[in-house]
Amino acid sequence: MATKNKKVDLSVKFCGVNFENPFMLSSSPVSDCYEMCKNAFNAGWGGVVYKTLNLEKRFKVVMPSPRLNALHYDGKRVIGLQNVEQITDRTIKENLKDIKRLKKEFPNKVLVSSIMGYSDEDWTELAALSEEAGADMIELNYSCPQMAREGAGHKVGQSYELMTEFTRAVKKGTKLPVMAKMTPNITDMVPAAMAAKAGGADAISAINTVKAITAVDVNLLTPLPNVSGTSSISGFSGAAVKPIALRFMAELAKDKNLKLPISGMGGITTWIDAVEFMLLGAGTLQVTTSIMRYGQRIVEDLKEGMLDYMIEKGFRSVSEMVGKALPTVVDPGKLPHQKQAFSVIDKDKCVGCGQCYISCMDGAHQAISLDKNRKAEVDEKKCVGCLMCYHVCPVDGAVTYKYDKFNFKTH
Amino acid sequence: MELKTKKHPVKTERKFNLQHALEEAERCLLCHDAPCSKGCPAGTDPGKFIRQLRFRNIKGAIRTVRKNNVLGGICAEVCPTCKLCVERCSRTGIDRPIMINQIQSFLTNHQHDIKFSVFDKDDAPESKKKVAVIGSGPSGLACAAQLALSGHEAVIFEKNEKPGGVLTYGIPYIRLNAETLANDIKEVTSLGVKIKCGSKITGKNAINDLLKKGYDAVFVACGLSQSNILKINGSELAGNFTWSDFLEMSNDPKLRAKAAKLVAGKNVAVIGGGSVAIDAAVSAKKLGAVKVYVISLEGLDELPADSEEIELAHKSNIIFKPQSRVTNIKGDGKKITGIDGVETEWIKKGGPLAPANARDVKGCEFSLKIDALIHAIGSRVEDSALETLKGAGVKTGDGNRTLVDGTYRTSVKGVFAGGDMIASGRKLNTVAAAVYDGKTAAMAIHNFLTSTKKGGIK
Repeated sequence: MATKNKKVDLSVKFCGVNFENPFMLSSSPVSDCYEMCKNAFNAGWGGVVYKTLNLEKRFKVVMPSPRLNALHYDGKRVIGLQNVEQITDRTIKENLKDIKRLKKEFPNKVLVSSIMGYSDEDWTELAALSEEAGADMIELNYSCPQMAREGAGHKVGQSYELMTEFTRAVKKGTKLPVMAKMTPNITDMVPAAMAAKAGGADAISAINTVKAITAVDVNLLTPLPNVSGTSSISGFSGAAVKPIALRFMAELAKDKNLKLPISGMGGITTWIDAVEFMLLGAGTLQVTTSIMRYGQRIVEDLKEGMLDYMIEKGFRSVSEMVGKALPTVVDPGKLPHQKQAFSVIDKDKCVGCGQCYISCMDGAHQAISLDKNRKAEVDEKKCVGCLMCYHVCPVDGAVTYKYDKFNFKTH
Repeated sequence: MELKTKKHPVKTERKFNLQHALEEAERCLLCHDAPCSKGCPAGTDPGKFIRQLRFRNIKGAIRTVRKNNVLGGICAEVCPTCKLCVERCSRTGIDRPIMINQIQSFLTNHQHDIKFSVFDKDDAPESKKKVAVIGSGPSGLACAAQLALSGHEAVIFEKNEKPGGVLTYGIPYIRLNAETLANDIKEVTSLGVKIKCGSKITGKNAINDLLKKGYDAVFVACGLSQSNILKINGSELAGNFTWSDFLEMSNDPKLRAKAAKLVAGKNVAVIGGGSVAIDAAVSAKKLGAVKVYVISLEGLDELPADSEEIELAHKSNIIFKPQSRVTNIKGDGKKITGIDGVETEWIKKGGPLAPANARDVKGCEFSLKIDALIHAIGSRVEDSALETLKGAGVKTGDGNRTLVDGTYRTSVKGVFAGGDMIASGRKLNTVAAAVYDGKTAAMAIHNFLTSTKKGGIK
């Protein structure tokens, strides 16, 4: 760690709870039991959101098998992950015992108890049990997209009245700060978050997984994962959903009425992802898929990378970063139209592959040609500065852009 | 660089930029309990720095390299990684191993590009203790750096005009970039280490004098700077050189013309199969030699030299005469005119790769017209250094290698030693191993300086 800047650290206060760093396991298979949470704390995670508790007296959870399918793309493995995982299949007794033990052994780490009920009484009871076990916060699972029971999971998250009602029920059972976990499988998340706020929610966590089908087995004519000849539309997570998650961060954080702290998640792998979530309004961060892919060890790089970034940028605390990019997010109609860019190609760096040529020819404005040495050239009069060439070029720094000296071109 | 072809540029020209490094890191399988991290004589952790790079924790990756090995830039260029970290790479089971050395090179170069300083020497309180380090090779540099980081004053005495020892005078400049060498040495001096060049510690009382003159401990790392000559008929003739004499000349821009005179337009043979033999052969070719032979007892697949160096030698049209030995050096009374040799075989297959296990194959004799013969058959501690060591009472063992214990203490209190000159029992002497010696010895010296119990090995 950088030693000269001893004053800067990653600690953050969220809903009045002190975190040594903003990185948490999200409620998922990675936070399933004492052992996994203990290892995560030892690895350096600031907190865990324990896998969603269930009052098994009403509903016994059974997991389908296989329960995962991954999206691989262009040789890169697991850029996204689909699951039909349910909430915990362990008994409430076992889980509460684990939570108690974790809080006793790691009093300075944050433990958030995630809960899911099926009636007002369930929610109140689970909240009270969580507080009694020593949890620091409670997360309300209004968003699991594949609960094998009606009136639960994201069905709640799509019904504003239920969310308000259940949140009220939870607040009856506990004095702890409560955050409502949102589903992205909805047109607008703000009214949903407002409904949770109306019930007394102290924070919002988002996003849960995106409903999806990752692939269809074209030989067996069945989507994947293939569970004995059947499959389901279910939750998709990981790096591939990050853009969707960032959208919801910005929308929630920009809303003038909501004004609740946000625990952000959805595809966080590197410290850069983490900083992006914070700049768009997340106060703490949660991770699952990249832990499943790479292990708890990634927290070392999340922490070291974020701290180096803060020192470089002069941020003295994590909370100083929160929402810093929000003022620059405007409606597309409000984007300024005074300047137009055009592409500039460095012929010394160009390797002559012609990717930019193909993209410009077939997908843009026919502004690129190849010279006799196969090096790309830009016709500045035709280029409208869409920058598709810049995005497809495989050589770092070979395509750049500058602003046009011509009149604005519309094609 | 003259040795390049378009398709096969030499190693130093294939430098990674950030994009290449990230792409190569993407190939890494990020193994659990990474095998590569167990293959480094200097204790480097490639599994960690590649993971850090992969997750864009680039400064963290630089810290991992540099904090473990202050000469991380040099090692990335000269290390025989194919026999160390890279050899263990799990990716080999799928296609080809990760280019760990290239990634490490990128990180140390990138450190200079972004002007990132890894060490904070203000961390350690000043101890007011002073340590003399004899020799500014890899071991001496690593030791001095670690001492400085522990708060001690370290002064390196270097007999030559320039610092670096074998790095400056023994490794050809085509294999180790001069800028990398300068950057790594600067990394050491920026910690406050003083290097006194042109100051040879010599004479029977030299080490005791240092201890009397206010130095609290001495670390001897003078390397094996005197190379051996194969003592056969004709080895006294003009045209016989040691590898160190030759490389010292060819490495020094001022003396390079002189080295060229010795080999340009001539046929050259090198005896030996290690890195220095290949280095000398490639350097001779580069300086204009016509035919260059490498004559070794080892078979091609047994050469101790790094595979990348051997590849470079092949591309430079070096002619290998593996499993052969020189039996006679012919001359005109003054200088060499040729050599006689014979092909050999191992008496016991899989036995030691040593002269005692080799026998001549009858009918496979050969003669070569040679104008210069470079002997690269090993080195020893310089005679004057040996005198100094013995004068101080330092015990030596086989081949006059200095005896040390597990904490690099010699038989004399306050005197430590490391690097190639110690009796380490290592099969392969590498820069990385020398760095490890220096670093570990520095920790032992720190303990010696800060503890009350003192003494040497019995």
